[in-house]
Amino acid sequence: MQQALQKLASLSAPPPPIIEARGRTRLPPPRCFSTAADRRRRFANRELSLSSWMATSFERSNGAKKGAEAARDQHMESDGGPDPRLAKIASSIRVIPDFPKPGIMFQDITTLLLDPEAFKDTIDLFVERYREKNISVVAGVEARGFIFGPPIALAIGAKFVPMRKPNKLPGEVISEEYSLEYGTDTMEMHVGAVQPGDRALVVDDLIATGGTLCAAIKLLERVGANVVECACMIELPELKGRDRLGNKPLFVLVSSDI
Amino acid sequence: MSADKDEDPRMYGIKSKIRVVPDFPKPGIMFQDITTLLLDPKAFKDTVDLFVERYKDRNISVVAGIEARGFIFGPPIALAIGAKFVPLRKPGKLPGEVISEDYVLEYGKDCLQMHVGAVQPQERALVVDDLIATGGTLCAAMNLLECVGAEVVECACVIELPDLKGRERLKGKPLYVLVESH
Repeated sequence: MQQALQKLASLSAPPPPIIEARGRTRLPPPRCFSTAADRRRRFANRELSLSSWMATSFERSNGAKKGAEAARDQHMESDGGPDPRLAKIASSIRVIPDFPKPGIMFQDITTLLLDPEAFKDTIDLFVERYREKNISVVAGVEARGFIFGPPIALAIGAKFVPMRKPNKLPGEVISEEYSLEYGTDTMEMHVGAVQPGDRALVVDDLIATGGTLCAAIKLLERVGANVVECACMIELPELKGRDRLGNKPLFVLVSSDI
Repeated sequence: MSADKDEDPRMYGIKSKIRVVPDFPKPGIMFQDITTLLLDPKAFKDTVDLFVERYKDRNISVVAGIEARGFIFGPPIALAIGAKFVPLRKPGKLPGEVISEDYVLEYGKDCLQMHVGAVQPQERALVVDDLIATGGTLCAAMNLLECVGAEVVECACVIELPDLKGRERLKGKPLYVLVESH
């Protein structure tokens, strides 16, 4: 056990992130706590895992399709190139193959949380974007949205509203059902937490197909809030979740093509 | 120890924001709901500040938060004191290699998991959750941390239900809470 712990504790140096010319930081080839054999298997399975994930059928949103131009605007960019903090953030995310099921390349943000500077930089990047936007509500999607949402809310002086799986919130709730790859799930929000006219930000660690974020947007809009933007650490652009948000803007720090 | 007794002027605002929901999740339980505290930015900030003031000079290198409400309070504390944040989760949620600790519920049992490699031997750890009832969950959390050689410095919760004597279940480790609810 001790040997295993020591082995896992000594991480190999991460490869540098790939910084695209237009300023969007793309995740480097995945870095795992696992062995070289795992990494070979992961690369071999990369194409297969993406196509199996994309085999999910879901309806495209009816809203305006985000063009490439708009999409680029929603990523971290400035005239001076990518923000220097992004490289460290991107490299501290680890990818776990075949989780939660075979073929899925899971983007694990827990390794970012183990680096206090990278975690702080992540929050700072969101706070810098939102603090002058009169956001009164930060809605965080259970459970990883609970890690990023509250620090942002605290820094910008907004209330934090947890969006939860069924039967977790006590008292009166409103519910929104959404599609999964197989079947449906439900998201709940407290009645009275959000008022008409509240300006809201929705936060989660990652956007894949966009189903979860879409449900969160609907809950907020049903009570009369104005969803200003959705904010995630990671986007999987090939799953086109951005399109599913309709006319709602999406801001992400890192894009991952795996 | 409870900050309630210290009569910090921020305490009244915090305590008044916690709402009690009767008969949740089942009849007879008076559920202590912290979501109303989160709707008050000043009270939420004061809550975090009280913990940060206590821990910032104690060389805490790890804040472990228990899923899911510990994820709300733990990260802001970790960020403020410069510690890493480690989520302790229900089974099947953490990807990759984990260690597990079973614990007893009123009826049946549950399990808490932590990532292998997240915490190193000798690290000084704080365990955070919104509430301590019987202490079973916190005890499991402490066991996970001690299993990998960390030192649990203290457990920190917003609320304690002292009648359930959870404090006694912490293997002698200190517990710090802001509010007691009888």
